[in-house]
Order: sequence, then structure tokens, then C-alpha cells
Amino acid sequence: MARKHALSVVAPGAALTLALSGCGLGQEDSFDVWIMEGTNPDATGYFEDIADQFEQETGVEVSIEFREWGDAHDQFVTAMAGDTAPDVAEVGTTWTPEFAAAGGLVDITDQVGDTDRFVDALAEAGQLDGRTYGMPWYAGVRAVVYRTDVFAELGIEEPRDWGELRDAATTIAEERDDMAAFPVAGGATQQMLPFVWGNGGEIATEEDGTWSAGLDSPESREGIEFYTDLALEDGTSTTGATTWDEADLQDNFIDGDVAMMISGSWTPSAILDENPDLEGDISAFPIPGPDGGMSPAFLGGSHLSVMSGADEDLAMTFIELLTEEENLGRWAEESTYFPGVQEQLDTYTESEDPLVRPFAEQMSEGGATVPVSENWGKVEGDETLTTMLQAVLDERATVDEATEEAATAVEETLNEDS
Amino acid sequence: MTRAATQPAGRPIPRRDGAPRLTRVVPLHWMLLLPALAVIGILLLYPLLRVLLLSFQDYGLDNVISGEPDFNGIDNYVQLLTDPYLWRIALPNTAVFAVVAVGGTVAFGTLVAVLLRSLGRVARTIVLSCVMVAWAMPAVSGTYVWIWIFDVDNGLARQLLGAVGLIGPEGFNWFTERLSFYAIVTLNVIHHGFPFVAVTVLAGLLTIPREYYEAALLDGATAWQRFWHVTVPTIRPVFAVVTILSTIWDFKVFAQVYLMPGGSGTNPEVLNFGTWSYIRSFARQDYGLGSAIAVLLTLILLAITVIYLRSLFKDEEFE
Repeated sequence: MARKHALSVVAPGAALTLALSGCGLGQEDSFDVWIMEGTNPDATGYFEDIADQFEQETGVEVSIEFREWGDAHDQFVTAMAGDTAPDVAEVGTTWTPEFAAAGGLVDITDQVGDTDRFVDALAEAGQLDGRTYGMPWYAGVRAVVYRTDVFAELGIEEPRDWGELRDAATTIAEERDDMAAFPVAGGATQQMLPFVWGNGGEIATEEDGTWSAGLDSPESREGIEFYTDLALEDGTSTTGATTWDEADLQDNFIDGDVAMMISGSWTPSAILDENPDLEGDISAFPIPGPDGGMSPAFLGGSHLSVMSGADEDLAMTFIELLTEEENLGRWAEESTYFPGVQEQLDTYTESEDPLVRPFAEQMSEGGATVPVSENWGKVEGDETLTTMLQAVLDERATVDEATEEAATAVEETLNEDS
Repeated sequence: MTRAATQPAGRPIPRRDGAPRLTRVVPLHWMLLLPALAVIGILLLYPLLRVLLLSFQDYGLDNVISGEPDFNGIDNYVQLLTDPYLWRIALPNTAVFAVVAVGGTVAFGTLVAVLLRSLGRVARTIVLSCVMVAWAMPAVSGTYVWIWIFDVDNGLARQLLGAVGLIGPEGFNWFTERLSFYAIVTLNVIHHGFPFVAVTVLAGLLTIPREYYEAALLDGATAWQRFWHVTVPTIRPVFAVVTILSTIWDFKVFAQVYLMPGGSGTNPEVLNFGTWSYIRSFARQDYGLGSAIAVLLTLILLAITVIYLRSLFKDEEFE
């Protein structure tokens, strides 16, 4: 809260300075970069190095500001409106199309060049109408994190398809009264989407600029039904989980109340920090497909973008410096996220670490992205998917009713002129 | 401005002794009011006007960045007033809740005030300190405490009701049902709001001359009759103030709803005006419609306040 207040005082002040100093003058004086806080436990040292490298290369001093993920969207909007946006910013992948459509980001298609070298879903998420606005930087993905001690005690193997997943969950639910086997968190839609995508469903697809929703397709419905039935029929969840969000899910896992959950590649280290007793008792496996293989999971991460009004050459130099092999590798290592460059990601899929390799495989082979549209942020803002999931879990609506309502809403919102 | 500039009389005219006659141009009382007006203007009037203006615009993220307004007349209001969501969900969640919460807060606060008056000095200090703790607790912390008490799987309420057999082993999710959700919000708001009522009413009670009660006692009035026929009429203005203020606060309650599971938009059944306006504006970047909701809320509150004050003054004229 305190930070927010500080910002609201600084922002008008900065706008005033800019207005007084006249156009152009203020911008050359400082080169500003916004980096999201919380990805890397301690990014300060890393960015001091980057700033040194950048100054050596260009002679320009760079000022790096860290922003909380939670407030960042509002801060971007405020800064873009007040002409106080930085030159380069780390932008969440689902925001890139939205900010680009609003005119806040610079088209960097020519500078980025061929995007084949990047992880597909990440490169795709940075584009709007075929133009690139975000350079893939790093990403994370979700897979199933589970308690190896519980699996060993009950003689359960890592599931390879949905049938085995359900069997594993029901076995735990029957044998262990003290924990939730596989909670179906009603406020966490990223945990649900693999069951839509894995079954061949889609949230929405675009053709000739028009979106049509896919949540009400037989494939999507079957996937959602399988997932919600785990809670409603098989008893692998808890009553409270209907209103849990992802943080609640993780907290309960940390407390030892959850045996299996879909969780991000960035979470195992945080879980072990909070509860060191779990050390050696947790592992992960990619989210299985209905009949083997993998169900895709949302690949979320960050782009680096040049903000409107920036010195474009200088900004691109900075972005290239961050995404250059050595710096990118170090960032991935320190932050425990995966690099957005396919070749570098490949080294992780060969890792022996049981908390790294399954995630790397999931990211490499089973990454998916939400509809790349400037209106996606509004769908998220409306909580359309969460509403749908909670209505089913709370038995206020059947899967057919809930998906139909959600599909209508998603289609309407995505096709709005922004 | 332009008119004033062209009128010679509007300018300071040099007096014979050379000093400008400022008083002619800006009367002294306006000069004295100026600092207060400036503060109110910046902090209250400007945001108010801005919200009013926004409510007549189709204002999205692109407008924020370009700075170009996009007026669409009364479209936002038409959309708002024809939306069944307003009549079925948002208005009842706001108004019915406010009536119950205000009634509860004023009734409970008054009871506590009456209790406080009858206590000795030491006991009064102790009870008053406890009451103050409830008041001093920030709404955010208070809300989380209530969420924990009603935690679906491990909360105190679950354990107590489970122990006496009112809830089965599968538990009950309070937060998904509109009624139980607002029951918790009501508890929270009454808990947070009653100390103000208690302290204010106590101050009023202490001004009532003892002779009134002695006279009533001589006439054989019961405790209830003394309260209803002596206490209430004497400090009616105090009740008016606490009721109006509570009404305003309870109509625009935000944090107590937003922070509850589902209150930030995941369960549309439980939104009230405050949270709906916020989510519409900031989560969905539809600032125009969000502002229209806020304006509607302000108009409702103004109407309630005017009606209430009128009835109050009318009553007093009759006496």
C-alpha cells in the first residue's frame, strides 16, 4: 500500500517535470527499465551487472525499477496515460496484445527477426495481427506436483493417462482421510485448462478476425466434466476448494493437506522454503493426456517490450543484452524459470532433477497459450472462466449450462472493438 | 473570466493613496473561504466531476493512453438500468444488506451504549477499551479474521457446528451462497461499525438530565417505556446522525466484500455496487460504465440522506 501512495505522488511530479523540461530533453537524460518483482528472489545483483554491461556498451546509465506483479497492470496503465512509461519493460505475456492494441508498445517485428528460435507459445503470445510487440524472455509452466511419500505408502505409480490419474486420486482419497487427494480449486482456472486442451478443446479460435468460442464443444465439455467430477463424484477434493485460488492450493500443500496438485514450475522451491520437512518428499510429472501423452498447460511468462516514446535503438540494445545467451542462462538459473529460447530450454529437459525435468518437458512439448487478443484481459477481468468453474463445482449449473454461458460471454468479449 | 477582464470595474482600481482596492474585486469572506474551497475543490469536487464526465463516455484503455474522450451520451446509463443484473443482484445485495447492517449496527451499538451508561467507572473503562479495539481494527485485517473463522475446511465455525452435529463431515461452503456470504459480511460490518454508534449514543445519553427518568419512574414507567419515551425522543438527532452515517458507509462497503472468497468477481452472485463498479472499471477497463455505477450509488445515497433529513426536521417542527 505504501508503495502505491508513493507512486501516486511521484507520477504527477514526473509528468510535471517532463512537461516543464519540454519534449525530447527529458527522455535522453535517463533510460528507465521496469522489471517485475518476485520472479527472482533477489534480482538486484543481477541487474547491477546488467546495468554495468549496458553502460560499458553504450555509455548510457540505466535506472531499473522493480514493480510488484499484483499492481503492475494498473501502474502500466497509469504510466502510459501520464507519459511516464519507461523505455523498456518486462510485460506479462497476456498483457502484451492488450497494451500493443492500446498503442503503448512499439512494433519490433523487424528488430526481433525470425521467431522460430523461441518457444512457440511464448513467441505467439507476443504478436498482434502478425506483428511482434514482445520479445520472449522467460516463462514458467504448470505440471503435477505430488507427495512421493504418499504415493510410495499406497503403492501408486506416476499416472500416465487420465484414467490412472483418477485412480491415483481416488485411492488417496479412500486411504488418507487427513488430506485432500487432488483438490479441484474453483478459483484457479489454469489448473482446469489442461483438461480442456488435453481433450482437444479450445477456449476460442480466430478465423478472419472473428473469434468463436470453443468451451461448449463436446471435447471441452468432456474435459471439464472429467475434471469437475473428480470433486463432485470421486471425492478427491474438499468443500472449501470450491473457492480456493492458486495461492490457497499451494498453502494447503505446504501445510501437508494436499497429496497432488497442478502447480507452477516456479513453486517447488517456494514450497520447500516454507516447509523444509517436505524435502525429498515431493516430485513432479507432466500433466497426462486422456490416453497417454501430455495435456498442454498454460505457458505464462514475460516479454520484453519497447514502450512508446522510447529511444528505440537504445531500447533494443538493452533487450538484446538481456536475452543474450549468457545473461539469459544466468537469469533462468537464478529465477528458476525457463528461458524462452528453445535451444537453451533443451538443456533443462535433460536435467536429472525431478523438480526440473518434468516441467521442462511440459514446457517443451505441452505448452499452450490463451487466445492472443487485446480483449483477453477483459475476459480475465470478468472472471468468466472462474465463474463457470465455480458454478459447476457448487452445482449451481451443469457443465453444459455453465460452458454455454461462458462460451457466449467469451465470444462476445473477444469480438468487442476495444 | 473574459467578461470580468473586459469590465474595467472588475480590475483593481488604484486608490488615491496608491493602494489597489482588492476588496472590491474579491470580497473578504471569499478570500477567507478560499483555502478551504481549494482543498475541497481539489480533493472532492474535481474527482466527483471527473467521475460524472467519465460516466457519459465510452472510456477504455485506449482512451486512457490517447487521452481522447469518446462521449456516448447516456448509453452507459441505458445499459446499466436495463441490465437485469442490476435489479436482480447488485441492488438487492447493496440495499437489503445495508438495511440489515444499519439496523443491526444501530441496535447493537445502542444496547452497548445503554450498558456502558449503567456501568461503574472501572468496568466502563474496560468495556470501552474492548469496544475500541474492534473499532481500531483495520477493515482488511478484520475481514481476514472473519474469513478464517468461517474457513470451510478448518474454521472455528465449522468445528463448532460440526461438534454439535449441524454440519456433516463434508462441510459447508459459506462463501458460495449469497445469503450465507452476506451473513458473514453483516457480522463483519456490524462488528466494525457498532463502536462508533455506541460511543456517539453514549455521549448523547450522558446529556439527558436525570430528572426526566426520575419523573418517569414516579409515573410508574417500565425500563422499556423509559427508554422508548424518554431516551429515544431526547436524543433523536444523535440517532439521525449515526443512522445516516451508517447508511452511507454500509451502502458503499467494499473491502469487506472484495476480500472474501468470490467477492473479487469470481462469484458474480455476491457483488454489490462498490465491488461491481471497481471490477467493471479496473478489471475490465470499462471506466465509463464503472463510473455510471458509482454515480448511481451516489444519487441513491443523496436521495436517502435528503429524505431522512427532511423527515427529521419535519418531526421537530411539530413538537
